[in-house]
Amino acid sequence: MQSWRRKSLWLALSASWLLLVLLGGFPLFRPAVSPRPRPGAPQRWPCWLDTELLQSFSQPGELPEDAPRPPQASHGSSCNWGTCFDTSKCRGDGLKVFVHPVAARPISETHRKILASVEGSRYHTFSPAEACLLLFLSLDSPAGECSPAPTPWNRGRNHLVLSLHPAPCPRTFQLGQAMVAEASPTVDSFRPGFDVALPLLPEAHPLRGGAPGQLWQHSPQPGVALLALEEERGGWRTAGANSSACPWDGHCEQDPGPEQTHPRETLPNATFCLISGQRADASPRFLQALQVLAALQEMPPARVLALRQQTQFLWDAYFSSVEKVIHTTLEIIQDRIFGTSAHPSLLWNSPPGALLALPTFSTIPRDFPFYHLQQGSRPEGRFSALIWVGAPGQPPLKLIQAVAGSQHCAQILVLWSSEQPLPSRWPETAVPLTVMDGHRKVSDRFFPYSAISTDAILSLDARSSLSTSEVDFAFVVWQSFPERMVGFLTWSHFWNEALGGWGYTAERANEFSMVLTTAAFYHRYYHTLFTHFLPKALRTLADEAPTCVDVLMNFLVAAVTKLPPIKVPYGKRQQEAAPLASGGPGSGPKHQPPAPDCINRMAAAFGHMPLVSSRLRLDPVLFKDPVSVQRKKYRSLEKP
Amino acid sequence: MSGASGLRSGLWHECEEEAVCVIMCASVKYNIRGPALIPRMKTKHRIYYITLFSIVLLGLIATGVFQFWPHSIESSSDWNAEKRSVRDVPVVRLPADSPIPERGDLSCRMHTCFDVYRCGFNPKNKIKVYIYSLKKYVDDFGVPVSNTISREYNELLTAISDSDYYTDDINRACLFVPSIDVLNQNTLRIKETAQALAQLSRWDRGTNHLLFNMLPGGPPDYNTALDVPRDRALLAGGGFSTWTYRQGYDVSIPVYSPLSAEVDLPEKGPGPRRHFLLSSQMGLHPEYREDLEALQAKHGESVLVLDKCTNLSEGVLSVRKRCCKHQVFDYPQVLQEATFCVVLRGARLGQVVLSDVLQAGCVPVVIADSYVLPFSEVLDWKRASVVVPEEKMSDVYSILQSIPQRQIEEMQRQARWFWEAYFQSIKAIALATLQIINDRIYPYAAISYEEWNDPPAVKWSSVSNPLFLPLIPPQSQGFTAIVLTYDRVESLFRVITEVSKVPSLSKLLVVWNNQNKNPPEDSLWPKIRVPLKVVRTAENKLSNRFFPYDEIETEAVLAIDDDIIMLTSDELQFGYEVWREFPDRLVGYPGRLHLWDHEMSKWKYESEWTNEVSMVLTGAAFYHKYFNYLYTYKMPGDIKNWVDAHMNCEDIAMNFLVANVTGKAVIKVTPRKKFKCPECTAIDGLSLDQTHMVERSECINKFASVFGTMPLKVVEHRADPVLYKDDFPEKLKSFPNIGSL
Repeated sequence: MQSWRRKSLWLALSASWLLLVLLGGFPLFRPAVSPRPRPGAPQRWPCWLDTELLQSFSQPGELPEDAPRPPQASHGSSCNWGTCFDTSKCRGDGLKVFVHPVAARPISETHRKILASVEGSRYHTFSPAEACLLLFLSLDSPAGECSPAPTPWNRGRNHLVLSLHPAPCPRTFQLGQAMVAEASPTVDSFRPGFDVALPLLPEAHPLRGGAPGQLWQHSPQPGVALLALEEERGGWRTAGANSSACPWDGHCEQDPGPEQTHPRETLPNATFCLISGQRADASPRFLQALQVLAALQEMPPARVLALRQQTQFLWDAYFSSVEKVIHTTLEIIQDRIFGTSAHPSLLWNSPPGALLALPTFSTIPRDFPFYHLQQGSRPEGRFSALIWVGAPGQPPLKLIQAVAGSQHCAQILVLWSSEQPLPSRWPETAVPLTVMDGHRKVSDRFFPYSAISTDAILSLDARSSLSTSEVDFAFVVWQSFPERMVGFLTWSHFWNEALGGWGYTAERANEFSMVLTTAAFYHRYYHTLFTHFLPKALRTLADEAPTCVDVLMNFLVAAVTKLPPIKVPYGKRQQEAAPLASGGPGSGPKHQPPAPDCINRMAAAFGHMPLVSSRLRLDPVLFKDPVSVQRKKYRSLEKP
Repeated sequence: MSGASGLRSGLWHECEEEAVCVIMCASVKYNIRGPALIPRMKTKHRIYYITLFSIVLLGLIATGVFQFWPHSIESSSDWNAEKRSVRDVPVVRLPADSPIPERGDLSCRMHTCFDVYRCGFNPKNKIKVYIYSLKKYVDDFGVPVSNTISREYNELLTAISDSDYYTDDINRACLFVPSIDVLNQNTLRIKETAQALAQLSRWDRGTNHLLFNMLPGGPPDYNTALDVPRDRALLAGGGFSTWTYRQGYDVSIPVYSPLSAEVDLPEKGPGPRRHFLLSSQMGLHPEYREDLEALQAKHGESVLVLDKCTNLSEGVLSVRKRCCKHQVFDYPQVLQEATFCVVLRGARLGQVVLSDVLQAGCVPVVIADSYVLPFSEVLDWKRASVVVPEEKMSDVYSILQSIPQRQIEEMQRQARWFWEAYFQSIKAIALATLQIINDRIYPYAAISYEEWNDPPAVKWSSVSNPLFLPLIPPQSQGFTAIVLTYDRVESLFRVITEVSKVPSLSKLLVVWNNQNKNPPEDSLWPKIRVPLKVVRTAENKLSNRFFPYDEIETEAVLAIDDDIIMLTSDELQFGYEVWREFPDRLVGYPGRLHLWDHEMSKWKYESEWTNEVSMVLTGAAFYHKYFNYLYTYKMPGDIKNWVDAHMNCEDIAMNFLVANVTGKAVIKVTPRKKFKCPECTAIDGLSLDQTHMVERSECINKFASVFGTMPLKVVEHRADPVLYKDDFPEKLKSFPNIGSL
């Protein structure tokens, strides 16, 4: 017994000891081992004993004020925006641009394109007295002499000297207070915030539209070279991810040798292109390239993805045509004049870009349909119905009741554009109803009326016929796609080989590219764009051929979003009855498509065909599913 | 994340403590009972044992105390920070003829005057900053060159020393900060200070040296940059004008306001305030003051022009009071009463009042021609201030009135946020300066515009979609189908045969997840028109289905289970077409919904016939291959391991991930079908089905807690072909075979 006890005691003891050693041993010895200071730890900035006694860098007498100073005269030779540009002339209508006529004839192709671009701009004026910016095109005449300063020059005040290509001849006049917009300016002569740097464009750059970006996919293709290097003789050399990268100290052990060279004409198929500013000796540039390569290999895929997409956006928004380059230049100057009401940075740097996001609409990104994600906001939960009464007939009482029945409807606006006198009685509705007198012009339908109080507009024609369910569902869909048009009836465009032009049809097809604005949801911002952004000629065209207005609105939205509109289901009954569109290209003889000229003239004015086709329709989740109708939220959509 | 791990380690400590306590208590009990338990033991032995036990016990207690005592002994005193007095620093005598650096070189740019190669390429993309040790410089006669160091400069160097940028190894450093304090030019002897700089051990014409200066120039002409000759050294200066600022080389910094630390101004919500425009500066030039007073006369109460108080009683700090006629106001509190606050140029361009104004959430109206605003290289001052040319001073009121109220409120918020992030302490100023220089040296790792400028509230709620470019990929690219399989070979072959009929299929990838069995021989596989590849995995994990295999050459991926044989070729082809129109979304067939269970106060998984969807199952779904990369390498928290451990919910995880990163809803395509899915094929009906639903609900709750939010978006629509169920000849429809059961 005793031995058993003793044994167990010993066991307990040794167990305790073991525990003690394990638990305590290490920490007990740690401080003793740890030297002071530890060798690996960095020597930090000392913690002074008398920190509290240190004096402040500024004496109380000196701060917060320092000696007053009289207003300063402008700084002589060099100019900046505040001192050299007189914004008081732009006070009334904002920027107005006059182009000095150039004596030299005949004018060059580039000159013609610039002129056309400026004249197509909403800032252009023919009167020098009205203008607050005077544009002087610095171009080389065929004789090789540079044009002299235009008159009146007024020491260059409020002048912009613009040249798309570096001038081959020295400037023959004093710049004075004039701004310069030129390609590839040098750091020494460029005045930030005053001059404008332009891209160096090839001679054959298109006037309008321009080729879209050549990127067809978001992420780089596997196996594509990581870097292409501009060669001295004008080719490209590519280096892949496997190429040996050089460390940053500039010592490359092995010569990577030529990997693959491409002639200048073919753009390199690479993720990055290294473009060197100076035409220097090739070898150090290659060294540079390898160092860049090392850095690029470290770049996270998310960033590569973002950069790729941004190149395409910038190209498409500001670079792809002469018109975009010129309009961007004017927009930059307009922003300087606007000061606080200029484009916020986000509008410049994310799609659709500053030329298509007008700060006169709002300077708060949330107000536009494009930036809800970046702003963490969502579109409003209510819409305004805008009913256009153009043709003679009864007031659209049934339509008003159907629309007013929607829980999302905030107000109904009736735009009375008919020859008939205004009816005195309107139906009682749950939402406010306002009647406005229109100007009998179709383009009036898309005027940014101040009475429109919501982001979403349901555009309707008096002869449209919709049910409350249809309105509700379409609006809920619009909330997911606030930048697009959501409509019920569709048209599609096609290329007519025989005529060598575009055509469009209202015939039902497997795809569509336009929705009719006689019943469609869209953001009220498109009214602002339609009225203030589109060239007047296009709006006139729409007024003359009223069916063109649908095409025009679809062109506009597609040019902005680069996406197709959205189609939602539309009850069968109306489709079989009278077509929803008034005067649209329907099946009846009355609704023949207008002269195909409409779509072709617009394609010419836009410089390209912006319409995009879609092959889908968005239906309610349980649409026509074999399940009890009682379970379905939008059951009336399925009624035969 | 850090919160979670902190909590975990806290718990861990709790356990340890408890364990020790149990042992100790046990020993104590044992000790007490000792005599009773061993009654017949000899006294000698007993004493021996008791002594032994006591020693062990003492040792244990000592260990416990030592281990679990707050670790003051080790960590509270910094081994390295030497406790010394500023007065004891070494003295350096500067001979009168010691070299003077060249004047600042105005043409300096990063690529001409800065040696980036010193910074090296490093994986962290962080520059290394060295601080010279503190010295006291005296001239030949023993007269000090300057005050040794100011409180603020000491703070600044401490902040750098405590940051990730710091190194004490001069050979590894890429940026050098002298400890010579040049914050205020007035306290310096210019020539001697320059000599002191020139004798620094790595000066080398000032290359890669950074000087901090807040008050440049001196009477009478007050230069806008530090007058100390400094050759190529970078200058972080407060009060640059466009003439002296070397764009992309120097850094414009704020003039630190001591009131930032002294006065606690709680944030005041945006909105209209008592005064529209306020001027609080004391030493204004009479000409400016006249202009402002004219505005006050014209607009009454809404303009308030304050001045120095003349009749203050003794002992009242004049810096903290402002007066208008006989009214006395507390400064800076009065700034919170105004919407706009004037920041006018004095002798210097940089004014300390800018910081006070921002702190008060008052929108600064900067009237100082050619002034380079602090950190203007990265901060978007248009969002937080109004810059008015001096010439336009008389128009200032009408200029401000043209700004819409909502924009003013944004500016007020932005102003306060700029102060909090970049003005409120010397540390904030120092770190922002280093970050700017760091961004220039490692531009590919630079902080984005949004990170610099968006207030935290916007940062939290905003989404930056990784696939933001509106782009419809060409149809010709096609898609890669990825089939995850274990051993259902027969069913797998049927799926392969069915999928291979889809016109846009460009490759088929089978992920063989069974390590114990080899995939069938090559000859046994169905012969299909596109390449078929089998990938064998190392472990049977669900995550393998979302691995970004090199074999995936298309952007579109179709994830499909090895038992999904009921989808028609039309349905799959249509799904691909839909994905092309929504390449940034999950486009799938069976849809599911998450619901908030009010009774249980948690999320619930729903697979019934509902009018809404928020998820699609990845048993059959198209998506962009980038999401495979995100799933594998960027999935937040422990979700990926959790999924692999539970062998469930990889599809819910994918839905969360995509919705969270894009901010967009899924697209469900085509009508509901009878799918072979866990919910439907449960062997013994209800019970298994219910367990499954409970598990799935748990997944949703778990993921929502890891994401810290519920990213899923609920929508009421699905995508069908344009002519689906329309009264139209079937043979003319592009996708006639849709929805057949």
